[in-house]
Amino acid sequence: MWLVVIVLGVLSVATIALHRGEQISAMWLVVAAFCCYALGYRFYSAFISAKVLALDPNRATPAERLDNGRDFVPTNKWVVFGHHFAAIAGPGPLVGPVLAAQFGYLPGTLWILAGSVLGGCVQDFVILLFSVRRDGKSMTEMAREEIGQMGGFVAYLAVISIIVILLCACALIVVNALKSSPWGVFTIAMTIPIAILMGLYIRRLRPGRVLESSILGFVLVLIAIWGGQWVSQTPPVAALFTYSATTLAIVIIIYGFAASALPVWLLLAPRDYLSTFVKLGTIGMLALGIIIARPTLHMPALTRFIDGSGPVFAGTIFPFAFITIACGAISGFHSLISSGTTPKLIRREHETRMVGYGAMMAESLVAIMATIAACVLQPGTYFAINSPAGVVGQSPEAAAATISNWGFFVTAADMHGLAQSVGEQTLFNRTGGAPVFAVGMANIFSHSLGGQAVMAIWYHFAIMFEALFILTVLDAGTRVGRFMIQDALGHIWKPFGRTSWYPSILGTSALIVAAWGFFLWQGVKDPLGGINSLWPLFGISNQLLAIVALCVATTIIVKMGKTRYIAVTLLPLVWLVAVTFTASWQKIFSDDPRLGFLSHARQLELSGAGPDLARRIFNDRLDAAVAGLLVVLVALILAESLREWVRVLSGRKEARVKEAPFVATRFTAEEQA
Amino acid sequence: MPRGKSFRFASAIGRLSQLSRGSVSLFVAALREVFDESAYARFLQRNALSPSRRSYAEFLNENEQGKARRPRCC
Repeated sequence: MWLVVIVLGVLSVATIALHRGEQISAMWLVVAAFCCYALGYRFYSAFISAKVLALDPNRATPAERLDNGRDFVPTNKWVVFGHHFAAIAGPGPLVGPVLAAQFGYLPGTLWILAGSVLGGCVQDFVILLFSVRRDGKSMTEMAREEIGQMGGFVAYLAVISIIVILLCACALIVVNALKSSPWGVFTIAMTIPIAILMGLYIRRLRPGRVLESSILGFVLVLIAIWGGQWVSQTPPVAALFTYSATTLAIVIIIYGFAASALPVWLLLAPRDYLSTFVKLGTIGMLALGIIIARPTLHMPALTRFIDGSGPVFAGTIFPFAFITIACGAISGFHSLISSGTTPKLIRREHETRMVGYGAMMAESLVAIMATIAACVLQPGTYFAINSPAGVVGQSPEAAAATISNWGFFVTAADMHGLAQSVGEQTLFNRTGGAPVFAVGMANIFSHSLGGQAVMAIWYHFAIMFEALFILTVLDAGTRVGRFMIQDALGHIWKPFGRTSWYPSILGTSALIVAAWGFFLWQGVKDPLGGINSLWPLFGISNQLLAIVALCVATTIIVKMGKTRYIAVTLLPLVWLVAVTFTASWQKIFSDDPRLGFLSHARQLELSGAGPDLARRIFNDRLDAAVAGLLVVLVALILAESLREWVRVLSGRKEARVKEAPFVATRFTAEEQA
Repeated sequence: MPRGKSFRFASAIGRLSQLSRGSVSLFVAALREVFDESAYARFLQRNALSPSRRSYAEFLNENEQGKARRPRCC
């Protein structure tokens, strides 16, 4: 049977890679993905389990040894898989592949498959196992213990930085998706009272009935989507929900502050439940829609923008395709989840393979579906939606002419018709990835369920799904950031560390919201499209966190005496170092003003005119400083890890890992009985 | 239909229905874990409490820190 899988896998990858000049079915991508995942899981993860990690079925996990019915609970592996996947699946694998589709469908697809099977899944798996063997310790704690104080410090700073950059990039995507869209704004605005109603339902009416209230919330959201159509078609009401990007940015900043400072049960927790419910359902529906509709990819395998001249974001395939895909292939953020709640639920050591490696495969499949959603659109439509006005021109006619000149035919009338069919005033210059994904998803859904008549409903369902997803990341992330700042400030003055002391709550909430709010404001005001700067910065910081995780993993493998298998984590580490360091260098020092922060600042200085000149120059220099700081921090942890490996391998330091002592599991005996 | 074949058919149907029942209960268990319903059930069992507004408020208070710190990935 495995021979058939290999043949099918080779055939589908060859079809994707070698077909030029004619359109292919999206099913080739799905088949290639399933074959790669099946082979990766069956052979590569089995090799890592047996040879590198030596998973021991007789060793008790912390969930068994420290079982307290609260944090540590031995749980069925499928239940842990669902729990872990719900935590790692975010907006990244949806947005990243959509943006990377400007290079064509081929680079993104190949990196999603290879990057996940050989990098992302491996990282999630090994970090989960190492955390399980250390009583569920966090990544920063493992970094401190195994690499040194510097490791813990850098991991902490990297996490804070990635949270700030992630939050502003996410907020900008929501702003771009909702600007001048009364239907979208109404639907998303309605999710706030719906979440509060759910919070009251769970706490007061039917205590603890979360699933029940999530289903109720989902039905109310569907009613809100349907009501949004009426809002958009009733001019006086539509005017109440039509906002510019700057107004939306202010509203989102205020929302982020409120979500961080309000009690969790009132807004954050019910919204999290609602978002999870919609997320799991929609991902399943999208997979089903693709299989039923079997759409054709209209985007070519490679576009002319592989040379770095793309309108969606600047930069060549290497390194920017790998940076932009982000969580769809490998995500440093996952290492926080793999060393967070998940290791405390694992019942048997060998289940880390299915949970760690397997859940990342599922996440990667989501990224493949996002690639398909973007590439089923006509390329002209894709670029018209996803290109900023500063690049293609302010008027629909100018934008259509510019894009047609690139060889991707589109007319202003086509775009007007498409906008009308999805209930929007315009779809030009809706950068950020979310609107393209929504149009692609609506396209797939309308072909498999309901036809063109319900295209607008599906489009706004997709927008609601993404915005809800992103706002959940925004409020949870703001709160996590607030706690991290409180932890750090608590070392300076104890009351700052008290999470129930309101002056500290308000002060630290304001601090974290100001940090991401500043970058959001900068992104909204940038005429070239802020996502051009912010998404690569997010990708860089996320991959740098993956470097920290892989440094920790490689150090532990060296200390385990398994140096002959070091390539398992060292190869992805070397690749990520090459990608992120090159990307950071280019973002800071490139002579192309569309790409390099400093050359863009110089260009602005030379032009000597334009609104907010001084502020824009300052922003460019700040972006360069942030990218530089991240690289320096990660270079430090890399050097520290390298020193540790040399000391252990040369015999100057004893190769000793800091694992919890072996205790035999009682589950083996129970199973045998 | 010969007796042997009908017996095999019936036992296959039985296995299938057992499998689908098992899959559904596992799926519901996963949803209950994701949506913290199992955590609340464990809280009630641990503290010998019955479901009520008060016990749920206590559960939320206990979980507030952990919940707030639980990151949602990008």
